[in-house]
Amino acid sequence: MKQKKLTIAGKELSSRFFIGTGRYPNPFVQNEAIKASGAEVLTFAIRRVNLGAPNEDAILQHLEGMSFTYLPNTSGAKTAEEAIRIARLAKASGLSDWIKIEISVDEKTLLPDPIETLKATEVLAKEGFVVLPYTSDDPVLCKRLEEAGAAAVMPGGAPIGTGLGILNPYNLQLITEQANVPIIVDAGLGSAMDVAQAMELGADGVLMNTPVAKAKDPVKMASAMKYAIEAGRLSYEAGRIQKKKYATASSGLTEFVSK
Amino acid sequence: MNLIINGEEHQVEVSTLEEVISYFELDPQLVVTEVDGNIIERSNWSVTELKDGMKIELVQFVGGG
Repeated sequence: MKQKKLTIAGKELSSRFFIGTGRYPNPFVQNEAIKASGAEVLTFAIRRVNLGAPNEDAILQHLEGMSFTYLPNTSGAKTAEEAIRIARLAKASGLSDWIKIEISVDEKTLLPDPIETLKATEVLAKEGFVVLPYTSDDPVLCKRLEEAGAAAVMPGGAPIGTGLGILNPYNLQLITEQANVPIIVDAGLGSAMDVAQAMELGADGVLMNTPVAKAKDPVKMASAMKYAIEAGRLSYEAGRIQKKKYATASSGLTEFVSK
Repeated sequence: MNLIINGEEHQVEVSTLEEVISYFELDPQLVVTEVDGNIIERSNWSVTELKDGMKIELVQFVGGG
């Protein structure tokens, strides 16, 4: 069974799973979870080096010998200006010109600031970045981000780390229906059920961190999410039946034995 | 020389950005630098001369979603 691969900015990806690298119990579990996920795109944050213990947080030293596409984020940024600065620093690493724009002001919900996100997308896309904005699940906004040059658009299912799942499936379906760039559902998913739903609604991929890293068994959960992505995508491509109010028998009654 | 590195004052005997990296024993491949708001490419670290009071940012990739 041949499936069409996800392609972003000309790069063909072998997996529709983007996985985060934060909050795992330890580096060993993290690496095993990444392997089990089959993910090719890994997300990171950019932070100041702790000069007292410089190698403590450096994530890349744990990943040597594995080949990935790096997707640094601009988390911590409250304005487009701050996000642009972080994006340029990330690019100067020489590791990637992909950037996940993440701009949040409200610490309680961490919901993205749509206006600042749009501004940063415009600027960074013009500078030649491969821009993947994390955004609200608003169909009009997602279209505007696409027009501003986003290589993929990443609406949240629910606020970051909540595990509440797809709070507005109607919106998400509109977003995927009208998109001309890949739609990656980023944030808020909790379990394999949420992932399958996102994929059945036509998402091209999902980005997850907390639901894997904080599961009781992160490695097993990474594997569960991988299968959910595949199952949901196949189901979407196969085309589900219409919902009906009353029953339809699986076998007809014209040849029924006692008639 | 007195430098503001990652928001803190540091008294270090260095003259170039490259020497700052080795002073803190950082892995050059993992660090990105900014001096007074300008990103300095790795290839220019050895020719970036520092002056008293300059603001230096040393950043890296850490775990995140």
